[in-house]
Formats: sequence, structure tokens, C-alpha cells
Amino acid sequence: MTNEIDSTHTADSTQPIIRSVAYTPSGGADQAYEVIDAIRRGENPVPTVHPEVVNAESVIDIEGFKLWYSETQAIHDISMKIPRGAVTALIGPSGCGKSTLLRSINRMNDLVDGVRVEGGISLNGSPIYAPSVDVISLRKRLGMVFQKPNPFPMSIFENVVYPLRIDGERRKEVLEEACEKSLRSAAIWDEVKDRLKKSALGLSGGQQQRVCIARAIVADPEVLLLDEPCSALDPVATLKIEELISQISERYTVLIVTHNMQQAARVSDFTSFMYLGRIVEYGPTATLFQTPALIETEHYVSGRFG
Amino acid sequence: MSDTNTTHAVHARRRTLPSAIGEPMVWLTGGALVVCLLMIVMLVLLVVVNGSKTFWPRAIDQVTLSDGEVFLGIATEHERVAETGAMRTLYRVGNRDIGQESFRWIDDEQVTSVETPDDAVMLEREAWGVWFGVPESIVRVHAGEEDTVLAHGSGDVLESYEALHHDARKTKSRIEQLKKVELGSINSEIDTLRLNIREAEIESARGDDGLIRLGWVLWFVFAGLLLGCMGVVYRCRDMGTELGASNARQGELIRTSGVIAAVMLVLAMWIAGPWKGQVVNEAQLETMRADAANSEAALLIEYDEVIAQIREIEDQDHELRLIIVEPTSGRFAPVSQTLGDEPMYVSQVVRLVQANTLSTAGKLGVFFSRWWEYLSTNPREANTEGGVFPVIVGTVILTLLLTIFVTPMGVIAALYLREYAKQGFLTSLIRIAVNNLAGVPSIVYGVFGLGFFCYTVGGYVDTGASESARMSAAGWWGMFVLAGVLLMAGFATKLWSKPNPGKLPSSFNVWMQRGAWLVWATVLVLVVMLVTRMPYFYGFFEARAQDGTPTFGARGMLWAALTLALLTLPVVIVATEEAIAAVPNSMREGSYGCGASKWQTMRRIVLPGAMPGILTGAILAMARGAGEVAPLMLVGAVKLNQDLPISTEAPFIHADQSFMHLGFHIFDLGFQSPDSQAARPLVWTTTLLFLAIVFALNFAAIMIRSRLRAKMAGPTV
Repeated sequence: MTNEIDSTHTADSTQPIIRSVAYTPSGGADQAYEVIDAIRRGENPVPTVHPEVVNAESVIDIEGFKLWYSETQAIHDISMKIPRGAVTALIGPSGCGKSTLLRSINRMNDLVDGVRVEGGISLNGSPIYAPSVDVISLRKRLGMVFQKPNPFPMSIFENVVYPLRIDGERRKEVLEEACEKSLRSAAIWDEVKDRLKKSALGLSGGQQQRVCIARAIVADPEVLLLDEPCSALDPVATLKIEELISQISERYTVLIVTHNMQQAARVSDFTSFMYLGRIVEYGPTATLFQTPALIETEHYVSGRFG
Repeated sequence: MSDTNTTHAVHARRRTLPSAIGEPMVWLTGGALVVCLLMIVMLVLLVVVNGSKTFWPRAIDQVTLSDGEVFLGIATEHERVAETGAMRTLYRVGNRDIGQESFRWIDDEQVTSVETPDDAVMLEREAWGVWFGVPESIVRVHAGEEDTVLAHGSGDVLESYEALHHDARKTKSRIEQLKKVELGSINSEIDTLRLNIREAEIESARGDDGLIRLGWVLWFVFAGLLLGCMGVVYRCRDMGTELGASNARQGELIRTSGVIAAVMLVLAMWIAGPWKGQVVNEAQLETMRADAANSEAALLIEYDEVIAQIREIEDQDHELRLIIVEPTSGRFAPVSQTLGDEPMYVSQVVRLVQANTLSTAGKLGVFFSRWWEYLSTNPREANTEGGVFPVIVGTVILTLLLTIFVTPMGVIAALYLREYAKQGFLTSLIRIAVNNLAGVPSIVYGVFGLGFFCYTVGGYVDTGASESARMSAAGWWGMFVLAGVLLMAGFATKLWSKPNPGKLPSSFNVWMQRGAWLVWATVLVLVVMLVTRMPYFYGFFEARAQDGTPTFGARGMLWAALTLALLTLPVVIVATEEAIAAVPNSMREGSYGCGASKWQTMRRIVLPGAMPGILTGAILAMARGAGEVAPLMLVGAVKLNQDLPISTEAPFIHADQSFMHLGFHIFDLGFQSPDSQAARPLVWTTTLLFLAIVFALNFAAIMIRSRLRAKMAGPTV
């Protein structure tokens, strides 16, 4: 986590060709990166937010949110609304704070020593960082899927019903029904229905990740948080997960962090481009990818800057 | 940068140096491994070979010496005398009852002839060791009448011996059974009766000195205070919010306080409940005494009946005599030294081995029957003969008990250290201390166990706090109330020491944190004082302790197991900590992400994931504890105690008794035996058995672990 923060601006190692572009201080005479340069100088430029997002009904409201890891500030005064019932993607180069922002929503950052926040986030109107909030019941309202598939070392069935188990649900028929429904939603029912009692660790990476998604949605979360869910998977598995995200977005609000611009373009309805803990541009995905307001966004989504 | 580049270009790489050649190291390291392995294999081989040949029946020699003396014996050793260079042989000659040493060195030049007569037999007897001789007859003795000869001559005797001996042994074991079970139970009933009276007497002498009533009054005061506190906390719950607390925090505080209050109330009721105040008066005591006397009289009659029954069976049994004659003196094996002129009872024979005529199958039969006797019976003759059954049971039970004690203790400690405690200077200090604990010489634990567990804790269990340590009831109840209030205060300060979400701990939080630790420490001290200075508790076995037979206040199984648990604690803590640390953080995050609490995560994810590692720790602890002897000598292992530590009578595990242990048994056989020559082969055999048992216990544990592993983990871990 700290590494990500310290490396304030490094090019993605998987895209070495872009490196030379990334280190150019500014885009040259015809392409001045005004906003990015301002952010690099430590200024606080106003993010470009498209009206579609402002007008949409929001499920998560982030208001002037700032976050520090000890002395290092990782998020600088972010305000954004996550529209209800849509897929919102957070994109940006490594260390831009998109994962941190995602993990702030279910307060996973509480587990890190020395984290301090200012400002507020509210989920369906109820504040997340108020002193009276019970962090356990907050996390029960959200589902989360991590970068690396992390099924527990138990059977597939037990993995999926884990959130219900910890709520003390013991009735077998309830658990079985929830498990099947959830696995079907995660588009993996047909693959695992005959081996529900087998260990989940015996599945392939992509299957494991879909079991994790099934686990995240089994208790009907208000928002599903996906933290680079495909970064550890092969292209075929990635494609399946992407299809799955499109499917479940019909029923859940999804917030997804991704490194992969194509993925953001394919699965999301809204995209927020972040840079060094600030939002640069935030709007409908189609607009952002085809006619962005800023030259930085255009260059970033087309891979010329990163 | 450019400098380095140029030097790189100029320097050519050198030839491979001689020191870079690796083959000698391969040989050296491989050789070292082979030497280590060889030593271990040799050790095991030595034990196995020496241990397993003990029970093989060997030929009985009839040796004629140059001075005309003839004796029967088994050659056990052959060696060259260092000074003269002459050869000499060690014969096991037995026949201790006629006043000779059971082993004899004979110079080879003295020997005129050595034969192996077919009719020579070796008798293994219940007492006085082995007897070598030639069977002469079996007789039935009738009081006041002529004896009937049932068989005469070596062949006849051996023929009829088989059936007669089988029946005689059955009768013998029936007698043993009667003595042990029937007489034993009558004895213990009489003991219980006497102890009950003794207890009642002690209690009535103590009388009702008003302490208990005072305790009750104070208990009500305490309860009132408690409710008042709860009320105040409820009314002032807004106060906390100003201090940076929250409603959630208040709720938690009130919930915890409620639980503490309930527990304390139940405790107080249990300690000074009204039903505790009943004291036996003199008239009741008289009735009790009369009742007990009646029951005792009845029991004594029963006792005499059983004794008569035993006598009758014994008399029948004693009619049957076996006459085995020793060649030199012509004397037969007697009943005992005091009855030297009477031939021995058939039932006294454990085994009759006609070694010189045995076929290989027959020898194997004797071999296995000796092994079975060794494994399944009690020791005889100062442990040099008979079996080691109580020793095996003692060892196994002790090992299991210590594992049962040490595993939860170590796991809980490691869980706190790794999951709850804030990692820092203090935790590293504790880790170093725990590791050092593993290096403390084991005898030190023995001394500690004897002083602390046996005498201090055991003494407290037996008789309660000593007279001088007992507090006045008022002081004690005051302390009780204080402990309760402090406990709640501890929880309150702990709650307020947590910073608000997303905030760094303020100095208020930090000071609250330190305060909480101080309060916890005070509560701990108070609880220890409350227990050790309790005025109401007079021990569970006061009457017995006053009679001079302490129950738990002496060396015993429980304290030995606890001492060994303490000794092996570092092993479990270290192994568990490593296992817990090896559970990937992504699992914990996944669980938290599902809305699990810390404890739920630990119970459902961390502990199961760490279970194989924890079991490894338990296995290591078991292996270490099973082999430990030095502390046991201080805290409970004895030379002889045929009462098993487990039985079918309540409480099934008699943890207060001293016990026999294989490790101590080996030491005893080797160095404390009155007949060291006879005991020497048994040292090897017992060592072999000890190795086998420790191996079997470990193997069982490893099997359990691998089954668990297969159940928990998938194929791709």
C-alpha cells in the first residue's frame, strides 16, 4: 500500500512503450497538460465533472474526502457521487489513490495503522465515518472483491454462504437456496454445482474469482466494490468476469477499480479519471473515451500518457 | 557511471579459481549427513537389537566344576579378564532362596564339563526370581494325611503340569481379584465413612462465627452499588459523546458492565450463598457418628466374609505343590524363605521353561508370552521382573494430559500475541522471553512445579488459604466490590482509548490506553488476592490433609502434567505464532470484507488455516514432554505405584496420584535396582518400548494432522 503511495509518478511497467511519453514534463507546445501539471505542482485544480453524473441519483456521496497514510496524503479533497444502479469505473495511473478510495468506502483502511481521514462519505444517506457507525454492520451493507482471488480454504458452498454464516444463519435450506442463487448470478453454477462440497482452492483462478463475486453478492449488498478483479486472471477468465459484471450491474451498483482502459470502456457506464489523489475528469464512459473534455484524459485513455 | 562502464570493458574475466571448485564441498556435506544418519541408525539399531533379545529363551547349561560342584545356569556373558588374560563366563544361576547370588562369574579353566540336559527347567516365579532345577514330582498335600503324588519323574510332571498350572493360575487371579476389588472397595467405603465424620467434626468445631452473615450484608451493599453505577452510566451516556465517544461505545459499555455484574452476582452467591451457612451441631454429629458406626460394623462383617472366602480358595490352591530339585544340594524350590522346607505351590509359577528341548516354534511361543507378560502385568521383584503395564499407562496418560493442557494455553497466548497485541517493543520482548523459556533447564521446571503446583496450589486446593493469609470478611468483600468496579472501569477506559473512526489516537486516547492497562493489572492482582486470601474456602480435602495424607498437596499426575505443559509451552507458542502469521492477509481481508468481526475472522479463517501448524506445535510439545524425566522425579514419578491413573470409578482420571513413567523406570532399572545384572537387559527392553510409545503417539498425532489437512485444504495450496 505504501509503495503505491510513495511512487508518486511511475509509468506502468506493463506498458514500457509509453514510458518515454510519461516522463515528458508536459505535452509540448501543442499539448500542454494544464490540469496534470497543476496537480504535479501541488495545486488544486477543479475537476471536470460532466453534468450527467451531477444529475444522476447517487448511492454513495463523497464530500471533500481526504486521506493520509501517516504523513503522506493519498487522497486530496475528492468529492464525487456514485450513480445508483450503474457501473462506475475508477481509472488512473498507479498510485493515483483509486484503490485507497475504494477501500475507504467499506473502511478497509481502518486495518492499516496510522490512517487519518477528513471529510465524509455517505452510503445511501448514512455517514460512513461518523463515530456511531459500527464498522461491522457497515461492511455487511457492501460487497467486496479483491485483486487476487481469495477464496477461503473451505468448500465452495461454505465460501459462498460465509457472510450468512457469520450472521448466524443455520437453516440449511436457506443457505442452499442463497448459495445457488448467488452462484447462478455469478455465472458459475453450472461449473461447480456437482462439487459444492469440494474445496474452493481446487478451482481455476477465474472460477475462484467468480466464487468470490458470488460470496460478495450472496447477502444482497447495496454496492459491490471491485478492486481490480481481473488483474490476476488470464484474458479468457477476464472476459467471463467482464460479462458477469455487465450482468450483475442490472441489479447492483458496482464500483470498479481497473488498470485496463479497455475494460473500463467495456463494462462501465461512468468513468472517473484520477491522478495523484485527485479527480481529473469524471463523466459517462462513452463521453470520456470518445470526446473527453481534457487532452490529458484523451491521451490517457488512448495510452499516450500514463 | 561512465567510469564503471570503461573498467568493465577493459577487465577480462579470470580463470575459474581452485577455490571455486565445488566437488569437495559436495563430499563434505554429504559425508556429514551420512555420519549423522549413521549415528541415529546405530542408536536405534542398538536399542532394537538389545531390547528384543531379552525375552528369547536360551539354553540351560549344567556346568560341572573341577572341585566337583554341579550347577544349572544360563550363560549370559563371556569375557577376558584384563589382568590374567583368562576367559570367564557369567552364569545366571538364580535360586536366590538357598542363599546364593543370582549371577556367578566362573573362570573357564575351572569348568570340567558343560552339558545341556533335556530335563533342566527354568522356573519364573512370583517371588525370589528364577529357579533352575529338574522337575521331580507334583504332589497334592492333605492336612494330617499322606500326600498324593500326582506325577513323578520329569516327563510325567511336565505333562500334567500344563493343565494343573492353567487352573492354579486362574484360581490365583481370582484371589487377587477378590483382594483388590472386594476388599479394596470395602476398605475405601470405611475410609469414606471415617472421612465424612472427620469433616463434620472439623466443620462443627469451626462453628458459625458470623463471617458469612457479614458477607451477605456486604454482598447486598455491593449489588446496590452495582445497580447504582449502571443507572449512573445509563443517565450520563451523553457525557461520553462529549469526550469523543459514541452511542455504539456506550451500548458496548453497558452491555459489558451488565455481563460483569451478572457474573459477579453469581460468583458472590456461589461463594457466600445462604445454603453455605449450615453448620453441623453436636446432636447431628452424634447421629452421624452412630450411623457411621453401624455401617462400619456391617462393612467389617462383610470384610470378614470375603476374607474367609479367600482363605478357603487359598487353602485349596495351596494343596497343589510342585517339586523342582536343584542338582547340587538336592533342594527343591520352597514356598518362601520362611517356609524353606515346604515345596512351592503350583500357582506361584509364572512360567516353566524347559529351554533345552524347545523347538524354534516353542521358543517363539515363550518369547511372545514373555513379551505379553511384560506389556500387560504389574512389575514384581523391585521392578526387575514382571511387566510394565502401569508404567505404560502412566506415561501415555501423562503425555496426553500435558498435550491437552499445553495446546489451548499456548494457542490462546499466541493468538493474543499475534492477532490482538499491538506489534512493538513489548511484544518482541515477550517473544524473546518465551524463546528463552525453552532454554531453561528442565530440572528448574521440576523445582518450580514442586514448590508452586504441588505445595502452593495443591495445598490451597486441599485446605484453602493458610490461617494467617485469611482476610476478614469485611475486607474481602470490600476487595470483591473494588475488583468489580475496577473491571468495569477497565472496560470503560479501554473503550475510550479507541480513536474515532478515521482519526489518529489523540493524547486522551493514549492516556486512556495506559490507564486501561494499569486498571487491568490492578484487577489481576486483586483477583489473585481474592482467591488466595478467601476467608470462606477451607479446601476440598481438608479432613484428609489433617490426617496427614494430602490429596492434591503432594506430588501427582496433575502437577506433573502442568509442569511439563509449562515446559513445553514455548514450543506451542512459537509454532502457533508462525502458523498464524502464515495465514495470508488476503484471507483476513476477505473475511472482514464480508462483514466478519475480528473474532469471527480468527475463529473461522485464521484458526482453521493455522490448525495444521498448531498441531505440529502440539506434536513437538508432546514429543518433548514425553521424553522429559528430570522434572518428573520432583513432581510425581515414583518407583512403584500399581494403582493406574485411570479407572472405571469416578472421577476416572485420578490426577492426584503419583504415577510410574517409562523414562524414570529406565533410570530406576539401570541405577537403583537391587539386582542390577537381572535388570540390565530390561533397561534395553524398556528403552525400546519407550521409543516405540513416543513414536506411536507422534505417529497418531501426525495421522490426525494429515487427515485434518486433507479435509481443510484443496489440492492447490
